[in-house]
Amino acid sequence: MLKIKVKKGHDINIAGVASRDLLATQKNTTVSLSPENFRYIKPKLLVKENDSVKLGDPIFFDKLSPEVKWPAIASGKISKIIYGERRSIKEIVFSIDNSVESNNDIKNQEPFLSSRDDVINFLLEKNMWPFITQRPFNKVANPSDTPKSIIVSLANTAPLSIDYDFTLSSNKDEIISALINLKKMTQGKLFVAINPGEFDYLSNIDFIELVEVQGPHPAGNIGIILNHIDPINSNDIVWTVQGHHLPILGRLFSHGIFDPSITINLAGPAVTNPGYFQSRIGASLETYCKGNLSNEKVRVISGDVLTGKQSGIDGYLGFYHSSISVIEESFDRSFMGWLHPGGSSKYSVFNAYIGSNKSPYNFTTLQNGSHRAFVPIEAWENVFPMDIYINALLRSIEANDFDEMEQLGIYECDEEDVALCSFICPSKTDVGGIIRKGLDTVYFD
Amino acid sequence: MNFLKKILAQSGKLFEEGKPLSFAYPLWEATDTILFSTNTQNKSGPHIRDNMDIKRTMFFVVIALIPCYLFGAYNIGYLHSSTTAVSSSILSDFIFGMTYVLPILITTFIAGAICEIGFAMIRKHEINEGFLVSCALIPLTMPPDIPLWQLFIGTCFGIIIGKEIFGGVGTNVFNPALTARAFMYFAFPTKISGDKVWALVPDGYSGATALSIPANPTIDMIAELAKNEQAINATNLFSLNSMSFDFSTSNLFWGLIPGSIGETNKLLILLGAIFLIYCGIASWRIMVASVLGLISTAGLFNLLADYSTNAMLTITPLEHILIGSFLFGTVFMASEPVTSTHTNKGRWIYGFMIGVLTVIIRSINPAYPEGVMLAILIMNMFAPLIDYYVVKGNIKMRISRNA
Repeated sequence: MLKIKVKKGHDINIAGVASRDLLATQKNTTVSLSPENFRYIKPKLLVKENDSVKLGDPIFFDKLSPEVKWPAIASGKISKIIYGERRSIKEIVFSIDNSVESNNDIKNQEPFLSSRDDVINFLLEKNMWPFITQRPFNKVANPSDTPKSIIVSLANTAPLSIDYDFTLSSNKDEIISALINLKKMTQGKLFVAINPGEFDYLSNIDFIELVEVQGPHPAGNIGIILNHIDPINSNDIVWTVQGHHLPILGRLFSHGIFDPSITINLAGPAVTNPGYFQSRIGASLETYCKGNLSNEKVRVISGDVLTGKQSGIDGYLGFYHSSISVIEESFDRSFMGWLHPGGSSKYSVFNAYIGSNKSPYNFTTLQNGSHRAFVPIEAWENVFPMDIYINALLRSIEANDFDEMEQLGIYECDEEDVALCSFICPSKTDVGGIIRKGLDTVYFD
Repeated sequence: MNFLKKILAQSGKLFEEGKPLSFAYPLWEATDTILFSTNTQNKSGPHIRDNMDIKRTMFFVVIALIPCYLFGAYNIGYLHSSTTAVSSSILSDFIFGMTYVLPILITTFIAGAICEIGFAMIRKHEINEGFLVSCALIPLTMPPDIPLWQLFIGTCFGIIIGKEIFGGVGTNVFNPALTARAFMYFAFPTKISGDKVWALVPDGYSGATALSIPANPTIDMIAELAKNEQAINATNLFSLNSMSFDFSTSNLFWGLIPGSIGETNKLLILLGAIFLIYCGIASWRIMVASVLGLISTAGLFNLLADYSTNAMLTITPLEHILIGSFLFGTVFMASEPVTSTHTNKGRWIYGFMIGVLTVIIRSINPAYPEGVMLAILIMNMFAPLIDYYVVKGNIKMRISRNA
């Protein structure tokens, strides 16, 4: 077992952490699949509005690699297809037909998958390939690539993210089945990252390389773990699967069925009763938020508060997301806020307020300051646990210096890895946005 | 408060794009956000942000400087009253000093504000709070009776040439406050160098600074030492000078000595350093490294002192730390984040070299007894080069990993 101890970073003490309780909720009636959740694809629809579909049917494919198709995430009808600018597809909304969906439960034989090609072809045939993503670029993997390793992180450190130890506690067989087949896809190692003391049974599995991660966020991020154990060099590709998708893949590999259910959480300072819910991919956020928010003016985020996407209460859970975070939308302007002595109304990683950070903090959407030119006080370095000079990397991105971006390790970074840098930056720089700009530049070059 | 908010909101309309006052928008924006924190929203991820912002960061540096101002004012009064033998109290000394410090402070801020606001209007960006720090630093590096017109020109030079022409805070190469001081040092040498300007003392009174004593020991002093069969070294020279000012090690620390306004009391500077480091604003690496650089070089020079007649080589490392504005420069100028190195390894090198260069300039070239200003400016210039090689090292590591 590998052990990583990350020192740099920060666990944000945010209010509204979900208690480890599975709360009852209504059933979803609509779900949505948004092609916008997938980077660098050119979707071409295979269905029209009002078509009837069954779970796992192909919905659209990527014109750039036509073998990759996206599955219907519900049985029922395509109730709406929402287009954005220049007819880009924003959302494909399904209305769920429960009678059809329950028929899907017929258990098939366990598919016989012996080789790497078998597993890849099986996933492609079943339209399940989008579950496999890759680093660098954090996009859907290319089936013809050969990954040097595969990594799964079961150690969530992001604020308000789901606790895998709780949500996956009853999925042992499915997880093992998924891991067995993931391992077949690579000649290299299959890394599984866990928090110390969790997922005991994984330590007996000899084909995986267990990585015990200790430390504050972003220690559990795939990018950070890879940087410590198996850094991505140029031309390297590492595949990855979201932890909460393991049971879905497990069911697929062992029974041949696609069951999109996942356990998600609803958390954040503006949630009355934060907790966990039995849910499904692309679920409608309103189902969980309705009547459970403490405030009218809120920002509902699909994903965590650092990297999630603002969806609005009528939005849907992103394909790769497993949590809903809700924070208050505040437009408060405190009198001479920059002079404020501190106390419980402030939160800062800097020791610049007296008596702050003690209790869970009610974060709002306030930027808490104006955007300024970057002043490089030692801030980013303290929350970015990679051997990358983030400051120099950002400058090379702004200068559009392609070679230097590569040399400084852009391939190892992703927005989520630098989210804390943006969080603490006194100049309010959007570090993640700049990293994404750099990744886009490199990708399209 | 709501009334004030309303006035601001109403008046803000006059400054909008296309309105007659739109050229002065940065001024309105600054007033608005100084009075009430901005309610700018986080657009995309991260959806939450730390409460620290540049306003507070810069303001904290100014806070760290306030004790130096207060003591500086008192010191001016104290040196004046003690040398003129007028009866005085702490308060009267302080008030006397303030009559010198306040005009300097006000002049600097007026000059700085004109430059910063002017450039913000021309370039149409928000006013950057960085100029507050520069303007708070400049007076502390000045002698008490600097002519205000010289100060005004110097400040404008520092802010414009040291900062604005490079693109403002964040992209400047040289520390604006030090640029201002260096400009004045070379442009108006009679008022900002030599022995006479650092304390308000009567004519004829020996007003030397600690640095100038070993640099240019007088013939009387050398004769005095020879008479008592004492070695010609800095410590002995300092003690000889006790007739005019007390240059004992403890008083060098407590700071009742001639010098520029903010540099003399080392305790307050150290407290400022601790405050800035604790808050995570200034780099402790730079400060520690520069002290190490100074100690090692001064130690080396002490060993070489026997082979030279230069009394500057005999100054012990501790005296080097305490005399002149080394500590002030290290804590408040060298650690300025933009013009120093931007990598942690680089910060060690940068700081160390400042310490080394300070001693070299002080000792080898007695014409410039105050070396720290030049040392920092020189290292400002080399900071990008140091970073370049540190980053190159990282690139090499990545390439070798790839191979």
